Amino acid sequence: MGSDKLTNKLRRLRFENDQMTQQELADKAGVTRQTIIAIEAGKYAPSLPLAFKIARTFNVSIEDVFQYENEQS
Amino acid sequence: MSKLQKSAWVNLIAVTICAIIGCVAFSLLYLLNAKGIDHIFVFLIVGSLTGLCIYVFYRKKSPEAGFDEREKMIYKRAFGLAACTLTVFLSCVCIIPFFVLSGQSVIKVYYLPLILFSTLFVAQFVHSTAILIQCSLEEEDG
Repeated sequence: MGSDKLTNKLRRLRFENDQMTQQELADKAGVTRQTIIAIEAGKYAPSLPLAFKIARTFNVSIEDVFQYENEQS
Repeated sequence: MSKLQKSAWVNLIAVTICAIIGCVAFSLLYLLNAKGIDHIFVFLIVGSLTGLCIYVFYRKKSPEAGFDEREKMIYKRAFGLAACTLTVFLSCVCIIPFFVLSGQSVIKVYYLPLILFSTLFVAQFVHSTAILIQCSLEEEDG
């Protein structure tokens, strides 16, 4: 039985991009600030289209933003 | 506060106010004038039509329009929970009196709209509360 874990570097990427605010990122990705907060906190896994939108906002690949780990136990 | 949370709060407050007014009106009619309660359906029809007009006037779009993907998911989960609650509540309200009062008893007809409105109130209450709880759980770090 394995457990899936999705981590992200959203907070770091925001700060590396002129300290972009959560609201600015939300506006660019077409979602609410609350959704960005939930994604950053790892409480919500975004859909693929939204993950691509976020990655393209920072001009990086999707794996530079989101990391997927599958721990086999 | 997002649009989803605002609409949930508005819904919760509106439903609670309607339920309080309904309970008070029903109790007063029942206690003060037992004959008047036979005509309660007139008030229910007028109230329902007024509520429907307000709903149609203010909600031209789908309730989900303008929500992002996370909010739509929260809305659907809350809707599922409300539907389950509605089914359980309605089943209990209809079945419990059957066993408590026994099969030979009769109930007055004015309890039927009361059961309907109580069920709708409980479903709406659960729906709005579930939305607010899910939103706050996901945003507590923000």
